[in-house]
Amino acid sequence: MALLPLSASFRGDIAVLLVLVDDQDTAEVVGRKIAVHVAGRRAPAGSGPVRVRHEGRILPAGQRVGEAGLSPLDYVEAFFDER
Amino acid sequence: MNRWDERRGREAIMPKLSRSDWYDLSRDTNWTFRYVTEEAAFPEELSGSHRIPSEGWLRWDEPYKISYREYVHNQVTKDTTTYSLKNAVGRSKLFDQLDPGWKSVILAHYGAITMPEFLASIGEARMARFGRAAAWRNTATFGALDEMRHGQIQAFFPYGLLDKEPRADWALKAFHTDNWVVLAVRHLFDDMFLANDAVSMALQLTFTFETGFTNLQFLGMAADAMDVGDLEFGALISSIQTDEARHSQQGEPTIKVLIENGHKKWGQFLIDHMFWRSWRAFAVLTGLSMDYYTPLESRRMSFKEFIEDWVIKQFAEQFHDFGLDRPWYWEEFIRELSWYHHAIHLGVWTYRPTVWWNPDAGASAAERAWLEEKYPGWNDTFGRNWDVIQDNLRKGEVAATFPETLPLMCNLCQIPIVRPAGVTAGALDSPAPLRHTYEGRTYLFCSEPCKWIFTSRPERFAGHKSLIDRLLGGDITPPDLGGVLRYMGLSEAEQGRDATGYDWAR
Repeated sequence: MALLPLSASFRGDIAVLLVLVDDQDTAEVVGRKIAVHVAGRRAPAGSGPVRVRHEGRILPAGQRVGEAGLSPLDYVEAFFDER
Repeated sequence: MNRWDERRGREAIMPKLSRSDWYDLSRDTNWTFRYVTEEAAFPEELSGSHRIPSEGWLRWDEPYKISYREYVHNQVTKDTTTYSLKNAVGRSKLFDQLDPGWKSVILAHYGAITMPEFLASIGEARMARFGRAAAWRNTATFGALDEMRHGQIQAFFPYGLLDKEPRADWALKAFHTDNWVVLAVRHLFDDMFLANDAVSMALQLTFTFETGFTNLQFLGMAADAMDVGDLEFGALISSIQTDEARHSQQGEPTIKVLIENGHKKWGQFLIDHMFWRSWRAFAVLTGLSMDYYTPLESRRMSFKEFIEDWVIKQFAEQFHDFGLDRPWYWEEFIRELSWYHHAIHLGVWTYRPTVWWNPDAGASAAERAWLEEKYPGWNDTFGRNWDVIQDNLRKGEVAATFPETLPLMCNLCQIPIVRPAGVTAGALDSPAPLRHTYEGRTYLFCSEPCKWIFTSRPERFAGHKSLIDRLLGGDITPPDLGGVLRYMGLSEAEQGRDATGYDWAR
């Protein structure tokens, strides 16, 4: 359990945000922690699950971000998967 | 004393020389050093002039000439007029009647600009001491006096507003805080003049920033002030602009000397560096003022049109006149004109408690129509963000319009990184911040030019900590938004609110 500050954005928003997560959080949880700052606040709320992309790769929803190799202030982009 | 003329029975009048007969002689008070070396008298760290031998500097010649007597006469006239107008207006209810967005323009201006004007007197004084040409030192002396006047007058005018708007106090207070806007402005001006040598300053402060940007912006601002009925601010800005027009001309002869002596590349580097930084500062301060805060009926042109007409056409033409090239990032700069300040505006409005003025959303139906006309596609990009905000306000969910975390700050310009908006606007391929690791520390940047400025001289910038570095490093306690607001020096009464009480959203 360790605090992991990320630089993150949510698709449709304007800025890169500081989002604090735990390295034991799954990608799904991290996606929700990013979405809460944007979806329904500055970008429309979506219906699908939130995905997280890191260095071009979409992280599996259940993968813990600490195990996915994310380092402090790494950039991730979250978005609604509305397929 | 004049001698007595016996024949006429009165004092003889000595013939007056015209200024051109004595100006050069009195101005060029150079001498040959015998007790110290020229390098010791003009240390390179402060002078930046030793690329060029002493004789090369003799050709430095300012285009606009003035004597001390003329200078004092002009300044007294300006001060008398401006202070008289202030005294008259101060007794009226003019300020109370101003548009709330315009009040934000002047509050933002006083907080961000008053102290830098005063600090610029240190920069001008450095040129007045360490400029290698006597003519240059003479001109810079007037510049130092100018900037002292600008610091004083822009502290005194907001002082007169305190009983109507206590946050006018930020004209003095701002630079004694670590507010995020101040961190950005301070970083810029430390780079531009407080921590700069005389030659770099002539190119970066007087040529790039003043000739390229502020001189023109002050003209526009003075006209806008008159249009909205703010006679006091209009007179103030006009009186400053006429000084700027004179002392900003130190850049032109300096760059001519550099080019004549084969150092065009160095001049180009300094200008490229500061043109980008000036653009960033202008997008934040002037972009928001022109396109969102100035009342719709008083807007003459959009911020983009202003930059195109004044900066691109007029200033950039000077690049060609001097045989300089446009900055290498020109295409990126042009693309940013259509999106960057819109993103910053949305951010500043969202983070309104973190600024000392009341951001005007400027997103009513009529204002949106104007924005769409000036920036085709605005409704499909930024308009969608404002739609969500407006829906929340209409539902009474005001809390949803406030932030719960901070944006990442660029480690060069110290302004929030808004690359995702650039992707939405079709101007950028990736929303990810740019990264660079130097001596084990990773730095994040908002743009290629900001990264280039940093990596060109990392030792110049590496020690600085952004607001986010300070938060994560434990400098801000508690590390939440309340702690951040206290760190920024903002009491609840000072924090910005929507300028119109959300009228625009109804």
